[in-house]
Amino acid sequence: MIELVNVSKSYTLKGVRKQILDGLSYRFPKDRNVAIMGRNGAGKSTLMRIIAGTEQPDSGRVYRSVKVSWPLGFAGGFNGSMTGLENVRFVSRIYGQDTERVIDSVQAFAELGASLNLPIKTYSSGMKARLAFGLSMAIDFDCYLIDEITAVGDKNFKLKSQQVFTDKLGHSQIIMISHSASAIKTYCDCGLFLRRDGIYFYDDIDHLIADYNRDLT
Amino acid sequence: MGKLLTLQARVIGSLVLRETRASFGTSQFGYLWAIVTPAASVAVLVTIFTLIGRQPPFGQSLALFFATGILTLEFFNKLSNTLMASFDANKALLTYPLIQETDAIFARVILISATYLLVFVLFYGGLVLLGLSSMPTFPEVVIQAFAATALLGFGFGTVNAVIVSLWDSWLHIERVLTRPLFFLSGIFYIPSNLPPEAIAILEWNPVLHLVEWFREGFYPNYESTVLSKTYPLGLAVGLILFGLAGERLYRKKRV
Repeated sequence: MIELVNVSKSYTLKGVRKQILDGLSYRFPKDRNVAIMGRNGAGKSTLMRIIAGTEQPDSGRVYRSVKVSWPLGFAGGFNGSMTGLENVRFVSRIYGQDTERVIDSVQAFAELGASLNLPIKTYSSGMKARLAFGLSMAIDFDCYLIDEITAVGDKNFKLKSQQVFTDKLGHSQIIMISHSASAIKTYCDCGLFLRRDGIYFYDDIDHLIADYNRDLT
Repeated sequence: MGKLLTLQARVIGSLVLRETRASFGTSQFGYLWAIVTPAASVAVLVTIFTLIGRQPPFGQSLALFFATGILTLEFFNKLSNTLMASFDANKALLTYPLIQETDAIFARVILISATYLLVFVLFYGGLVLLGLSSMPTFPEVVIQAFAATALLGFGFGTVNAVIVSLWDSWLHIERVLTRPLFFLSGIFYIPSNLPPEAIAILEWNPVLHLVEWFREGFYPNYESTVLSKTYPLGLAVGLILFGLAGERLYRKKRV
């Protein structure tokens, strides 16, 4: 279970204060996959970092009783001078996983071959994304936080990630940020809409997408 | 509780391994440099002073006298400088919610202390083998001095890291302010023999006390009138508490 109680978050940059979340209380429904939609800058990624625990709210509390992933995005947490393999080892160590099993699984999924022994800084962004995605899928989480990641890679990779994803959905929950209506429709069955005037919960995904499209135009 | 402690140990352990790779390069040879560099720089200084024909200020060995000074200062500086850069260097790590910035600090303290333990053993071991020193008379005192240096570097570095995160010019100012430590820490002279006016000022320098502490451990009859063990220890504990409290207090501001 993931629950936010009275969570507020604001940023002050160069004297300009921006309130992202204001007293948000929300309990994520168990066993449902939740979409997070909103315009650029609405605070989707901030909300996700607060759910993950990589960012602290200004006030309020976050309760997690399940194993939540880090926010899966475009390969943020890799150390560029270390090789792909070393990065994979590091992450599986901190999550207490069987390192060799994770390496095998990443190797099979990301298809990086010998590049896995090269420093991350030599990788293309596509390779990095494949590695990041493969790594997170190799570790078993109860809840995966996904920030726009399904949009990367070529067709073959997309198919592959869809497959893994669908497998994961059997026993894990996902919370997903996406601008893509089709991705949202494929994976999510309810959602949050971050609007300027507040945050709205939609029990019905089609309803959410319709309102989101209307808001954009 | 037990579960949390295992998690903490696991995270710090992984960070130590990662830091080893990141700071010493990917080859096994990289780590060798971390040990050779401090040892070699002391060796160069000692050679220069020997060639000039300086007499050891205390005991028979010039090398041992300088080493107790320079190695101690190097250890302290290395800790303090590495910790000071810690928050900035580890931003990418914060992607993983399991890792707190304090974990990165603890990992660096462990890694550097372990490295310098090796440096100390190799260097002093080398001096003994070359006949330039005898075994330390009070090994337990040397170990205490080592631990005290680690604590002081930990505290000083953590406080600096917090200050740098709030005001980044401090990085340069700190460098300038700590540069004179080379002359103020009793490396070339015996602090107890200085005039009382000089001692009254120099005894505020905690590194000087650490150097004296090491010497009391190595020499059978080095009687320092300056040394106070409670001063550097108390300061270390105070700085550690202050630094960790500051880290917690300003954590939200830093992100």
